[in-house]
Amino acid sequence: MKPLAHKPLSGIRIADFTVHNAGPFCTHLLSQLGAEVIKVESAMRPDAFRRPHPVYGRMGPATFDQVASTKLSVRINLKKVEGIALAKRLVAVSDVAAESFRPGVTERLGLGFEALRAVKRDIIVLAVSSSGQSGPDSHFAGYAPLFGAWGGLGELTGYADGPPVEMRHVMDHTVGMNAAVAVMAALHRRRATGEGGLVDVSAREVASSLLGEALLLAAAGREPRRAGNDHPRLAPHGVYPAAGEDCWVAIAVGSDAEFRGLAGVIGRADLVENPYFATAEARHANRGELDLALAQWTAGLHAEEAVFRLQAAGVAAHTSWTTPQIVGDPHLRSRRAIVEVAEPDGTMRAAVGVPMRLSKGADIGIHRGTPKLGEDEDFVYGELLGLSRAERDALEAADVIY
Amino acid sequence: MAPLSDLRVLVHASGVAAGYAARLLGGMGARVIWLEGPGGSALRGEPPFLPAEDGQDAQGDGTSALFAYLAAGAQSRVVDLATDEGRAALGALLSEADIFLDDTPVREREALGLDEASVAARHPGLIHVSVLPFGAFGPKAGWRAEEICLQHASGEGNLLPNGLSIELFPDRPPVKIYGHFAEMQGGIAAALGALSALWVRDELGGQFVDVASQDAMLAVGAFAIQRLGDGSVEHRVERSFRYGGVLPCADGYVELLTLEQRQWEGLVKLLGEPAWALDPALADSLERSRRGPEINRHIRAWAASRKVEDIVREGQKLSVPLAKYYTPGEVLRDPHEAARGLFQPVAIAGVGTLPMLVSPFQFDGAVVPLAGGPPVLGGGA
Repeated sequence: MKPLAHKPLSGIRIADFTVHNAGPFCTHLLSQLGAEVIKVESAMRPDAFRRPHPVYGRMGPATFDQVASTKLSVRINLKKVEGIALAKRLVAVSDVAAESFRPGVTERLGLGFEALRAVKRDIIVLAVSSSGQSGPDSHFAGYAPLFGAWGGLGELTGYADGPPVEMRHVMDHTVGMNAAVAVMAALHRRRATGEGGLVDVSAREVASSLLGEALLLAAAGREPRRAGNDHPRLAPHGVYPAAGEDCWVAIAVGSDAEFRGLAGVIGRADLVENPYFATAEARHANRGELDLALAQWTAGLHAEEAVFRLQAAGVAAHTSWTTPQIVGDPHLRSRRAIVEVAEPDGTMRAAVGVPMRLSKGADIGIHRGTPKLGEDEDFVYGELLGLSRAERDALEAADVIY
Repeated sequence: MAPLSDLRVLVHASGVAAGYAARLLGGMGARVIWLEGPGGSALRGEPPFLPAEDGQDAQGDGTSALFAYLAAGAQSRVVDLATDEGRAALGALLSEADIFLDDTPVREREALGLDEASVAARHPGLIHVSVLPFGAFGPKAGWRAEEICLQHASGEGNLLPNGLSIELFPDRPPVKIYGHFAEMQGGIAAALGALSALWVRDELGGQFVDVASQDAMLAVGAFAIQRLGDGSVEHRVERSFRYGGVLPCADGYVELLTLEQRQWEGLVKLLGEPAWALDPALADSLERSRRGPEINRHIRAWAASRKVEDIVREGQKLSVPLAKYYTPGEVLRDPHEAARGLFQPVAIAGVGTLPMLVSPFQFDGAVVPLAGGPPVLGGGA
């Protein structure tokens, strides 16, 4: 293991019982910031990335799993009483215990908040769930598209004349990033007061938190609806066709200066003189005509060429990027938003970094790939928990370390 | 006590990302001050607007619902950074702050005394967080972006819609996620960066945190990059779930997603165990993936004549993951959210008192209450 010293969260240890995407992404972010995250797994129910995945047509385990990287792996069988005892020993030497079971499951297992507080008085427990730890729907099972549906985000996303749209992994992962913020706040409180606590993050509430202004409008008696790529103020605003198949440019224009820039670039200086487009309000009211004029121009150009010309004229624009374009981008590489990581066989591949640059301290980000199941038991069980080889062998023989 | 009640945050924001970072920190108890120019933050002029107290629909001079949401619970101070006096006032505010969130374009910072070096020299203990569309560093640091550009610069924009929507409209341009999703990811990342840098302030002193909404949106879209490494370029058509997804019902839409075997079995029961679903070959998940369109035809025909509430109620009993597509109004009236206290009445000047979403986090079984509504320019709520 490379030393974690001087990353900001160096010295913070997290016992990580989370599964799926939201919880693991939270602890993945914290691990990149220097926390020592110990991922608890079992051969009985291996993590999804260690198995074939019918939804993605993957016939075997993943060779790299973003959210598992930079974590340590140990095996604990939580179906065994001794497994629960071992999990508690791990929590007793941790600052944070993170879980994403359905509410009530950790209590049944004997790993609820009170049980963990009994072994570590100032433990911070992060519980990530679809609907939160309380309330009539707390037992509901869910995935990202359901969080988006319950939270209102799915209903407001989509073409005005079409159905609502499913939220995908970005929904899970924003839950995880929100949870990471809440855990950091709880750590600050512990430092100030000596108290740990229970952090309850509900995925559907995170979805709702991303449309706070629409909820406020609804509270005022209005009925916000999905509106495709329309913007309530900006025009032109949308996704326009570029030369080539399925190539697009996202463009947004607000001020008069931006509109002048746009009109000049697309060779339609006449639009600036036209009273139909004289003010931002007028342009918004007559946006259909502007969309046609703009699309006529974009359709004849390579997307990147159109974007460079528009940016040079002070207009907000970006190519609708696919993943090969993203991983090849010098800007994202220079910021370490895209990094290279090594597969177990040494093959290099692109991964995303932790989304921030800090001016002080050691480099943050991924510092090792996906751990093998149980890869770090010598360190965790041997060094951290002080278990002897014989004790570990006995636990393995009893299917507790399994 | 609220987790961040000792924390003082100064925010200078014309965009959603920096404003949302402040809102998140304020939502956990931090004392937040909005630093505004004499005309107020540009966000005060950003739609949608709330109807005025007299019931009139407000236009450009109305109260922005977006600003109200972002600045709820904060105070406002008016400072004209174009003047010496203003910059002195800024210095006083910064000397009292732990965290400074700023989205001033990089090229404009020096003249206002907001560049990294000047701030660090005068306020060595400050966590100075820059929040920009493409960040403060790198070849595109000066580029402009609105939300829609960020969704497409990070890859997710190109991958939406999927499911039913792209089946119906395969030739339309991609459609964005509602609202300010990518900018809010920038805000969430900025809050995380601020609290992480603050964690080591005793050892390292203050520092500069450079956040880009593009990076943050890309981070939450990490799975598409992982798929690329596995050899697949994701596309919005192929990314659709093979069956389930958005189901049109007699009176609205539900989301259905069965990923586990037992969930599929529950769905078969919910459908009333029709002959097609009992085909032994469909017991295999890979076979179901292959025959997704056929399964969808059956499920959609079944759902079309049924009511959303009935499907959801019966489905949940069978542990089938199903959710109604709630409108904002339904979220607001949802008994579950009422029980959890997700909304709190706050006073909004010129509008009245409205329930507002408090925070997506609970600590020790409760949300941290908002200190109030949005501040009037230069004052409090």
